[in-house]
Amino acid sequence: MEILLGILEQGLTYAFLALGLYFAYIILDFPDLTVDGSFPLGAAVSVSLSLAGLPPLLTLVAAALAGAAAGLCTGLIHVKLRVKDLLAGLIMQTALYTVNLMIAGRSNVPIFDRDTLFQNTRMDAFLPPSLQPLRVLIMMLPLVILIKLACDAFLSTQAGFLLKAAGDKPSLVCSLAHDPGMVKVGGLALANALVALSGACVAQEQRFFEISMGTGAMLMGLASVILGLKLLESFGRLRETTKVILGSVIYKAVIAFAITLGLPPNALKLLTALTFLVILVAGNGQMAAHFRRLFGLSKTCTESKTQKEAKDA
Amino acid sequence: MKNLKKSCALFVLFVLLCSCLGACAGGATGSGTSTSTNSAPAGNSDVASSADSTQTKSEKGVAAKTGPENAAPEADESKSANPEPGQKELHIGILQFAQHPSLDNCREGFLKGLAESGFVEGQNLTVDVQNAQADMGICGQIAAQFAGKKLDLICAIATPAAMSAYNAAQSKGIPVIYTAISDPVAAQLADSDKKPLGEVTGTSDRLPIKEQLSLIREVLPDAKNIGILFSTSEANSVSMLEVYKKLAPEYGFEIVDSGISSSSDIPLACDALLKKVDALSNLTDNTVVNSLPLILSKAKAKNIPVFGSEIEQVRLGCLASEGIEYISLGRQTGAMAAKILRGEAKASELPYEEIAEACLSVNLQAASDLGIKFSDELLARAVEKFTEISSANK
Repeated sequence: MEILLGILEQGLTYAFLALGLYFAYIILDFPDLTVDGSFPLGAAVSVSLSLAGLPPLLTLVAAALAGAAAGLCTGLIHVKLRVKDLLAGLIMQTALYTVNLMIAGRSNVPIFDRDTLFQNTRMDAFLPPSLQPLRVLIMMLPLVILIKLACDAFLSTQAGFLLKAAGDKPSLVCSLAHDPGMVKVGGLALANALVALSGACVAQEQRFFEISMGTGAMLMGLASVILGLKLLESFGRLRETTKVILGSVIYKAVIAFAITLGLPPNALKLLTALTFLVILVAGNGQMAAHFRRLFGLSKTCTESKTQKEAKDA
Repeated sequence: MKNLKKSCALFVLFVLLCSCLGACAGGATGSGTSTSTNSAPAGNSDVASSADSTQTKSEKGVAAKTGPENAAPEADESKSANPEPGQKELHIGILQFAQHPSLDNCREGFLKGLAESGFVEGQNLTVDVQNAQADMGICGQIAAQFAGKKLDLICAIATPAAMSAYNAAQSKGIPVIYTAISDPVAAQLADSDKKPLGEVTGTSDRLPIKEQLSLIREVLPDAKNIGILFSTSEANSVSMLEVYKKLAPEYGFEIVDSGISSSSDIPLACDALLKKVDALSNLTDNTVVNSLPLILSKAKAKNIPVFGSEIEQVRLGCLASEGIEYISLGRQTGAMAAKILRGEAKASELPYEEIAEACLSVNLQAASDLGIKFSDELLARAVEKFTEISSANK
């Protein structure tokens, strides 16, 4: 039970990371490497503001804003300076390393002695002792649901449809008298705001900032997204955002399995890589099409859901 | 295509199922009860196999045999009673942050220290060793899993591991013992009087920098500038560098530092640094130490001596070091852990310890290459004298 609880907690704190990558990679079709930098950026902002005495929830908002700024920069570098998507993300990721160190002051900053989102006097007072172990869940679940509903609401507005179209068929955006480039910039800002929010939640949960916490964040988020979308494909009634959040939990469960398996420590990364491969081959992104071509399999692959939805729009 | 998709989905579902079963089984064996064998009537083979593998390097046979005999040892019981080592099966977890010779030595030393105090792995101790492969996400998850299993003690090696373990174990009341942390105070694991700030204590690998500086002064009476390479991402290095800078003027040195962000920066940073300094001194910086052969060859070309921070570095060709030796550090940690496991003291009552004394090691081959002669007095107090430069670790 305890381990299942751990998986759920971890999955939910990383859920916004998956949501961010869902926006960037699935909706905008933008493999955004900024994520490896904006994830610790959120953590750095949240931790240093916590140290300055701000209430934890406010630090989350500030972290999301900082993430949005990072995404904005990536978007502008890509759209205005015409740098390729991968490179634009890479440039921002590298720049953010220094920015993060500057914000946090050093590479490892603890907040063990501060009130955090999950460990604070108010919660101690309100929660009965039997519910104390569930405190992360009690905070994260409403937060995740709230943000998810907000994302859903946003995606069904005109701006949301424009976003979907920008990733899929930029000409459609043009025909609606909007600049697809700027829509993309906005989308990236939103995606990175979510990623930074996730970083802030993780920092509040683990109660320290560590410069290396962003390493592999993009891969982790991407795997969650594809795992969720693919595995829950047959659950047509679930919204994609819900699937992505569940994907994050499933991903953490897979990692927990790898750890529980007690493989030689060096094999852990290999297992992670193999899991990614399986997920990607089964996934419906570009990789899947590539693999199909590679193995000479039939090309009658179903159109991805996002494409359909964008067309409906 | 559909078949492929389905099979993939099935595979992942299977993985999930296994993980849940494994988690349950692992949790049950962790608490020491004998219910693990009958907790899941169906799918026995799965449960058994994952439970087996949960305990890396542990003798499951012993655990299974002794399991039913002891009546579910609770943490509280073991504290109130006066248990003889060897009577109960204790279960501890080791969370190592990364794969690295020094950290491996810590782990080895830790198990040795425990064994010397009567806790022998496989006899009365089950040890679950996990390595986070320097991945913060995985590190946190291992810590959460350890905490979920209600282990008797968690040993965390290196700073991020200690912080994750402390965070996860704190609410569960599991004591955490750490090692290889340069600055437990900066990590908020202890206050400035070395008193723990929770059920967490251990040993620090703070470098004996005073001794190191006086060693450099002794060997190089005319040296002025000491160069130090460090990774900006390693908290240990940054805090040790500050100590260096503070103490250097006392010995008439000036510290010239050069920060790098990845190992690919080392060649250029090293070249630039070697132009400005009379000697190099190492920290326990993982990135820098891993590139030591490169640094040594560059320094040798310019006839500049390199001082190490621990014995392994001197073996690889550093001139000398007043440093730490991680096996004894681990041993010291193991002895502390044994105290906690026996119930003699709570982790929160034990102040964190530093290595008892610096250990001097010299490399005579490196000295003759540089044309440096050690004084007899210095050679006499050297704990280890290497006569050749070894090309590989150990």
